Amino acid sequence: MRELVAGAMAQARVVYALSLRETRTRFGQHKLGYVWALLEPVFWVATFGTMFLAIGRENAAGMELVPFLTTGVIPYNLAVGTADRVSVAVDANKSLLFYPHVQPLDLVFARVALELATYVIVMIVILGAYSLWTGSFEIESVLMTSFGLVLATMFGGALGTVLAGMSVLYPVVQRIKGPVMRPLFWLSGIFFAANMLPSNVQEWFLYNPILHCTEMVRDGYFAQYHARGASVGYVLVWTLALAFVGLTMERRVRSRIQLT
Amino acid sequence: MIELRNVTKAYRTHAGMHVVLNRLNATFPDKVSYGILGLNGAGKSTLLRILGGAEQPDEGRVLRSGRVSWPIGFAGGFNGSLSGEENCRFAARIYGADLDHVVEFTREFAEIGEYFRMPVRTYSSGMRARLAFGLSMAIDFDTYLVDEVTAVGDSRFRKKCQEAFASRRERAAVIIVSHQIKTIEAYADRYALLRNGELEIFDDLDEVSRLYEEAA
Repeated sequence: MRELVAGAMAQARVVYALSLRETRTRFGQHKLGYVWALLEPVFWVATFGTMFLAIGRENAAGMELVPFLTTGVIPYNLAVGTADRVSVAVDANKSLLFYPHVQPLDLVFARVALELATYVIVMIVILGAYSLWTGSFEIESVLMTSFGLVLATMFGGALGTVLAGMSVLYPVVQRIKGPVMRPLFWLSGIFFAANMLPSNVQEWFLYNPILHCTEMVRDGYFAQYHARGASVGYVLVWTLALAFVGLTMERRVRSRIQLT
Repeated sequence: MIELRNVTKAYRTHAGMHVVLNRLNATFPDKVSYGILGLNGAGKSTLLRILGGAEQPDEGRVLRSGRVSWPIGFAGGFNGSLSGEENCRFAARIYGADLDHVVEFTREFAEIGEYFRMPVRTYSSGMRARLAFGLSMAIDFDTYLVDEVTAVGDSRFRKKCQEAFASRRERAAVIIVSHQIKTIEAYADRYALLRNGELEIFDDLDEVSRLYEEAA
């Protein structure tokens, strides 16, 4: 038991040190590093917001536009963005594996932690600025909202681990993952909510686990929205299955990761 | 202490599997320094990485107790876009060592002046090596794994490195790999010869030298 605790402490130390380092290398290059993380979600919120206004809609299923779009962009980024960054986590940090207790999975955990922290902060900044501007702030359930965000991140991390393992065996994965995942941008509920879809279409869209996460976040955030189709179990099954495959692959390809 | 049990490591090459370590069994007790001789390509660096845990064996187990260093003399493990100081902080954090002590010690030992605060990618290879060596001396290890570190810097710096090791000999062990008999003579209490995937251990330098020269 004592050894287990000591081991967990050591690993926590490594992941903490790696996250700090990732923060410096990801944002520290430019003075405006952190602003860039904010800019991309803001850009999409602005773009879709303008489009909604252009067709004369000021809300979506009773949800105000800016919070509605923000609660769509953030879970999407947490899922797909994390998957993308985790899939290259080992490649980008190979030199660190020379420190014996830095293992490939620590690099994965560090990136997952940093993505989650980054986008939660981005979300707080956008929605905080918006409620200062409108003068009112309402969130139905912080717990449910956070749960949706964490679930999206876990799904992204598990998917990224599988992609990372596959790209050790087939480097071509890194080239095709972008085009293959791109449709998710249009399918994950950034600019629509599942309840707005006709039921026969909704059924198909709900095969996408990211949409479930977006729905949960919105259900938690908006008092007036109830995500009827969202299922925690469905996302968890996907996440656990991907994590199982990902971790198995990590064992399998570990010896193939060349250090130099 | 480090113990190898039935450790096997092979690499895939175009000509099929190349076995580098073949069912190795060895025990490296605390506070006893070993010098391991091997020709180029005998698997010295692989053995060192496996001892340190940077690489996993294909079969067998490695048991470690105490703090074991990364292979010293290797200037990797640094992130080029971070400064020398930031890299030291990172290493201190993962080893749970005192940050200020590690940074201060490395700064003094490495003698790279202003460069300590500049990105590592701007360093010359000599400066990198000085930083790497200083950092590894700043953290108190029980076992130091050394990969031909003596090639670092000018003769004054080399002497400093040897003194740093000498002052740790009381409480720490050094496992050094080299293809030069002279190098291991300076550091080791006991000797070993790595050839054909096997490791033989000797108490006597003359015996290992004779066998090594025969093989060469």
